[in-house]
Amino acid sequence: MKINFTINGKGRAKEIKASTLLIDLIRDGLKLKGTKPGCFEGECGACTVLVDGHAINSCLYLAVNVAGKSITTIEGLGGEDQFLDIVQEKLIEHGGVQCGFCTSGMAMSIKSYSDKCKEEGKVPNRNEVAKSLEGNLCRCTGYVKIVDAAISVCGN
Amino acid sequence: MSYDFNIESPQTADELLAVIAANQDKNFRFGAGGTDLLLELKRAPQENLTVVNLAQLKDPIFKSITKVAGGYRIGALVTAGEVLDHEEVKSEFYTLWEAAHNLASMQIRQVATVGGNLCTASPSGDIACALVALHARCEIINTKGELRSVSVADFSTGVRKTVIQKNEVLRSVVVPINSNPNLHSGFIKVGTRLSMECSVVSLAYHIQMDDNRTIRHAGIAIGAVAPTIKFTDSACAFLIGKSKLIDTEREEFAGLISDYASPISDVRASAWYREEVLFNISKGLME
Ligand SMILES: Cc1cc2nc3c(=O)[nH]c(=O)nc-3n(C[C@H](O)[C@H](O)[C@H](O)COP(=O)(O)OP(=O)(O)OC[C@H]3O[C@@H](n4cnc5c(N)ncnc54)[C@H](O)[C@@H]3O)c2cc1C
Ligand code: FES
Ligand code: FES
Repeated sequence: MKINFTINGKGRAKEIKASTLLIDLIRDGLKLKGTKPGCFEGECGACTVLVDGHAINSCLYLAVNVAGKSITTIEGLGGEDQFLDIVQEKLIEHGGVQCGFCTSGMAMSIKSYSDKCKEEGKVPNRNEVAKSLEGNLCRCTGYVKIVDAAISVCGN
Repeated sequence: MSYDFNIESPQTADELLAVIAANQDKNFRFGAGGTDLLLELKRAPQENLTVVNLAQLKDPIFKSITKVAGGYRIGALVTAGEVLDHEEVKSEFYTLWEAAHNLASMQIRQVATVGGNLCTASPSGDIACALVALHARCEIINTKGELRSVSVADFSTGVRKTVIQKNEVLRSVVVPINSNPNLHSGFIKVGTRLSMECSVVSLAYHIQMDDNRTIRHAGIAIGAVAPTIKFTDSACAFLIGKSKLIDTEREEFAGLISDYASPISDVRASAWYREEVLFNISKGLME
């Protein structure tokens, strides 16, 4: 079946199988390898992407359900006028990146949560920021620096 | 056999009922958020399966939270994230809000639905547990468009089993409005990791008190300690007419709750640990 969607700002049409998972469409169909395959079970968050601005696990999401929607992956975070998004800048500034395997997923979760907070005019506290990252595992950093980075993105 | 299936994506309620009717002699499963279903199908693929994809349905009853006579109707496709964004749910039914708040992760809450949580019929379903404590009722619709109502407490008949027939689908649940002004409501979940996990023990409580702080209604449900979520009738009855519990009453009350548990030992916890935890959180509930 053929589906139409937007990926990182560009409209695309793609032939997929009914059972295709979004992570496979992104990595194999669109050759965007920044989205990472980790557990494939919704536990690690390495596969996190945005669908219409909201973070989801692409390993537990059917590709057919992005029809008519807009996907953002790590490759689409920066944009035309800036090389890196503020989320990426803050992760670097705070030393929140070590091996980097979790980083694209972390960045997408931070993006989704910080955008939601901005929309609601809310400045979240440290616990709330940490809670928003519960779905992202990191084997390297010990989280403190990642949470620091996320807090500074959220306006603290 | 590998992971594969056909898909039907009805857009309206009528189309959905037609798809169900057309698939009566075939092997099909509903998919809402897919967070349980896709995992299951990856682990145990099925042959000649059709997934009836509910994620593209645009029907307002399936998809929204509305005030109705005597309560709030929550569509089966309302997500945990949408429950969290609903102010009245938070102020009126805090146990449900807190259950949704502690379900899995932000990414999963974005897609996981109330209906999926009920229909997956897990003894550690958090939203299901809160809905049992709230005396909610399921509204089930069949291919003829006929509606029947079943209490959430009776909806699951065993692990992964529900009362839903092959020609039916869960459309919505109705949570009755509170009849008293003062609430003691919440959701306690004990796990090896706070969220992101099916609990070792969970307890949903929704206790309503009159102006003199006398308990008039009580709903307490426990999860993960028996094959289905249990409504603890006798513990709830014990509270009616009381306001504060003295020490010995608290022990008695916790014992009444624990009577409903028949925990097993598994990878997450031993039966002994589950019993101890349940007794202790129950005792702390009315402090
Ligand atoms: C990493 C991870 C962590 C999790 N943590 C928790 C947790 O903390 N607490 C918790 O309670 N759950 C948890 N879950 C389980 C799951 O996310 C929830 O049960 C969720 O609510 C399921 O909703 P869904 O829309 O994704 O269901 P789906 O996977 O789409 O469906 C689940 C089942 O219900 C059936 N179904 C769905 N909708 C209907 C309907 N309207 N009518 C009839 N049948 C229907 C499907 O056929 C399927 O059998 C977790 C899952 C994962 C992967
Ligand atoms: S790969 Fe999707 S959550 Fe781990
Ligand atoms: S930086 Fe290595 S897993 Fe997070």
